[in-house]
Amino acid sequence: METTTAVVAGAERATKVYGSGETAIRALDEVTIGFPAGRFTAIMGPSGSGKSTLMHCLAGLDDLTEGRVFLGDVDLGTLSDKDLTVLRRTRIGFVFQSFNLVPTLTAAENITLPLTLGGAKGDPDWIDTVVATVGLGNRLKHLPSELSGGQQQRVAVARALATQPQIIFADEPTGNLDSRSGGDILAFMRRAVDELGQTIVMVTHDPVAAGYADAVVFLADGRIVDEMADPTAATVLDRIKSLET
Amino acid sequence: MLRISLKSAWGHKRRLVGTALAVFLGVAFLSGTLVLGDTLSRNFDQLFAETTAGTDAVVQSPRSISGGGPDIEQTGFLDADLVDTIAAVDGVAAAEPSINGYAAIIGPDGEAVGGNGPPRLGGNWITDPELNPYRLVDGRAPEADDEVVINRGAAEDAGLEVGDTATVQVPTPLEVTVVGIATFGDADGIGDTTFTAFTLDAAQRWIAGDEGRISSVLVRGEDGVSQEELVDRIEAVVPADTETLTGAEVAQDRVDEINSDFLGMLRTFLTMFAGIALLVATFSIYNTFSIIVAQRTREMALLRAVGAARRQVLAAVVVEALAVGVVASVAGVVGGLGIAGLLKGMFDAFGFALPAGGMTITATAVLVSAAVGIVATVVAATAPALRASRIAPLAALRETAVDRSGTSRARAVAGAVILGAGVAAVLTSAAVGGDSVVLLAGVGAVACLAGVVVAGPVVARPAASVLGLPLARLRGMGGVLARRNAMRNPRRTSATASALLVGVGVVVVFTVFAASIKTYLTDTIDRTFGSDLVVSAPAFGGAGIDPSLAPAIAELPEVADSVGLGTGAAVIEGDERGVRYGDPGPLSQIIDLDVTEGSLGELADDQVAVSADAAEDEGWRLGSPLTVEFIDGSTERFTVGAIYEEDTLIGNLFVPRAAWVPHAPQAMDNAVYVSLAPGVDLEAGKAAIQPVVDRFDGPDVQDRDEYAADQTAGLDMMLGVIYVLLALAILIALMGIANTLSLSIHERRRELGVLRAVGQTRRQLRTMVRDESVLIAVFGTVGGLALGVFLGWGLVQVASSSSGVGVFTAPVARLAVILVVGAVAGVLAGVRPARRAARLDVLDAVRSD
Repeated sequence: METTTAVVAGAERATKVYGSGETAIRALDEVTIGFPAGRFTAIMGPSGSGKSTLMHCLAGLDDLTEGRVFLGDVDLGTLSDKDLTVLRRTRIGFVFQSFNLVPTLTAAENITLPLTLGGAKGDPDWIDTVVATVGLGNRLKHLPSELSGGQQQRVAVARALATQPQIIFADEPTGNLDSRSGGDILAFMRRAVDELGQTIVMVTHDPVAAGYADAVVFLADGRIVDEMADPTAATVLDRIKSLET
Repeated sequence: MLRISLKSAWGHKRRLVGTALAVFLGVAFLSGTLVLGDTLSRNFDQLFAETTAGTDAVVQSPRSISGGGPDIEQTGFLDADLVDTIAAVDGVAAAEPSINGYAAIIGPDGEAVGGNGPPRLGGNWITDPELNPYRLVDGRAPEADDEVVINRGAAEDAGLEVGDTATVQVPTPLEVTVVGIATFGDADGIGDTTFTAFTLDAAQRWIAGDEGRISSVLVRGEDGVSQEELVDRIEAVVPADTETLTGAEVAQDRVDEINSDFLGMLRTFLTMFAGIALLVATFSIYNTFSIIVAQRTREMALLRAVGAARRQVLAAVVVEALAVGVVASVAGVVGGLGIAGLLKGMFDAFGFALPAGGMTITATAVLVSAAVGIVATVVAATAPALRASRIAPLAALRETAVDRSGTSRARAVAGAVILGAGVAAVLTSAAVGGDSVVLLAGVGAVACLAGVVVAGPVVARPAASVLGLPLARLRGMGGVLARRNAMRNPRRTSATASALLVGVGVVVVFTVFAASIKTYLTDTIDRTFGSDLVVSAPAFGGAGIDPSLAPAIAELPEVADSVGLGTGAAVIEGDERGVRYGDPGPLSQIIDLDVTEGSLGELADDQVAVSADAAEDEGWRLGSPLTVEFIDGSTERFTVGAIYEEDTLIGNLFVPRAAWVPHAPQAMDNAVYVSLAPGVDLEAGKAAIQPVVDRFDGPDVQDRDEYAADQTAGLDMMLGVIYVLLALAILIALMGIANTLSLSIHERRRELGVLRAVGQTRRQLRTMVRDESVLIAVFGTVGGLALGVFLGWGLVQVASSSSGVGVFTAPVARLAVILVVGAVAGVLAGVRPARRAARLDVLDAVRSD
């Protein structure tokens, strides 16, 4: 991966094995990768390729069997559960495929949740900027159940942005959305990178989604099999076809 | 389908454990109660059947006068000559006189041996072993006037053995030698009663009060003469004012008496608490199944979408409930045996010892408690199942985060109407008062409870919102989330809290009622305690004070005046009434009865004093003639010589001692009131009087505060028993909270995963879950406090106007303690669910592929 900017997060010889002996499955097999700051990277691969596992390990939600993952100069493997939690709260943003929001909190409260959990106020100007970018307008006081799926995911992205994290991990953020809402979300994430200077890593199996990224990393059987800079939906689709043959 | 249901129940066993435990505890309590009742009942049956086996007929006086309280019942006497008359009847093998009365054995601590209820019996040793219910196990029968046989239970309590000397009060203290120890049948005694047997002569002198008097004649027939035949033959020779019963009838009478007086009360009392525990358990069952069904509804909605009938969905739930109900109830019945033992132990510990004996397990007890448990489970589970089955399949598939069901306007209106009707009924009965409104008040109380339960889901949201405000302020985001979680499913929050509300409500009603009685007693003592010091016999157990004590105290130079007051019953103008007797002169000097007409101090021996209330009710005036029939059968004419207002201390009728004593053997005083000479302080007075009291083996001399504390001590003890009995209901309610929370956490695991992923620490998550638990517990406790104080107030109003007992008092400190205990209990109930929540794997919760 050619880059001029610093690497904010990554993995070195990351290996994850489920089970043991004959039935052991190597979900990650010595993956080494770095994610540059201010970029939007997509991780692609078929089911079982290890792309979600890689992301979970990078985010400190899961631990490695061997190797190490780091965020900035911190080796996540050395942290306690509590320190990891604080790290997630302050330096990492998350967007999941669904069930992203706490149903008892309003959209606005969900956005500031990582801040309020830490008892922090955050940067009010930044929050205002993020909220304005979400474009929810008067629906900020609504509960998630009163929002459409697309609106819910926009709130989730805004929440990921709220703490000005070093990196945002998005796990199939458009997987449950129709193509128009999905496009909105991807455009929103693109803007977060271009205009707000955020770093985003997104797991997806959708070539259209990957087309919004600055770079695509292809995973298969727990290994990185290919990379592509400045992808479009069409080039990604072609590459997938060529990888499958 | 059946197999699927049972499999599903097994699959959910962890979720069902809480429910099963609630059913188990409720059923165990109920079956324990029933088993204990049956056991006691059978023990008494056997005891009386065995001890009266040799008695074929009993001749006794038909006269019995009671009044003025449950403890006061006097029975008449017979002429001792009847024994010879009866012995001469053809077919009579033996006829023995029997004397029954009071005799207290003084233990080594100077107090009368025996419990807080069972009587202290005294009588003669019946020489014919077949007629004597007691059996000598050590020593011999009494032969001299100062020799006694006592029952083994009393001997063990007092540490007495054959050959020891002891003091027995009849109520005059007598120095006696214990020459024998006896059992009642095989038992150490009749429950905790004590029994002292004298020779016939001594018993006649001390207990019957006349050498020519006996209580009854016990008769043994010759072989071949039936009991009925024997009774017929005896009736032909005895005077008309006697009654002759067969031995079987007498045994049955005694059993009936114990069943109705003692066992009946005990059964009702315990069953009430078992009922409360089961009611609370029902809420828990309802809740668990509501949640399980809600979770299942999504699965079932899919099934229904592909064609499963609603009936099948329902049946599955009912079968599951049935399985839980059967397993838990059967276990509960078995556990009930343990509970019966515990209950017995508890009563022993609180000083109400019950007779021992093996457990009696009747089919009724087993079937009733199992049936109640099973039916309660199935009914409580069917309601949520029915409701869930009405939801359209597609609606059920939708994820509803905040459930607004159960807050409908119809529910609010129904709840308000029921609650309003209940409150109106309680207010009406409180305003009207008296015995006639007791039923109305009871119905009102039930309606209040029902109204609160119905309206609960409507109230739960705003209530949790208000109660949770401090949490949200103080605990940051975790507090906000705990508050919202308590608000998100009002029906669930309310049903969970309702269980605790019922338990706490009952606790509060009893607390308020006890406090009110205490205030009343203290007020009364403040108002009427005209004397400086008092020597008072225990309120229960029929112990008494020697009437010679008061004159002996009066002789002390430190004492100005002293009066003893006794209690009895007589037939006045045809009505059985309670009577107080004493010396009018000293009484009028020591206690101000607010005499409005006539003179108490100059009351003549053929005059009585009556209360203004009684005078008004009966139309008595100063000088009105009153006919009084005494227990010895004689009738005398009195006139009303004084009318007084203050009737709390001496009741409605006061008879001069001189007029009472000739007709009543063993006339004992309940209390001796003393006023000190001028210049003598309380401590000096006490020090002077105590040695005199000790000579009579009387209780301690008390000043007003000590007396008040003593009089109210029984209430605290009773309240202690009730708290212990209610603890089970509270425990079930708390398990309900824990269970509901665990199920909720299971339901919310994805959301908890999100919280953890975006930065909630384990500790914050645990605190959040515990705070929700506390919020629910406080909601239930506050509701219970409010309802309990209101119902307690109503109860006190009704009781005070019907019996004059009780001045409404809300014991603030104690109620505050209840609130704190409720909150702390909430923390405890939340511990396990919080731990489980914190253990959730974040990845499991958020993983989407």
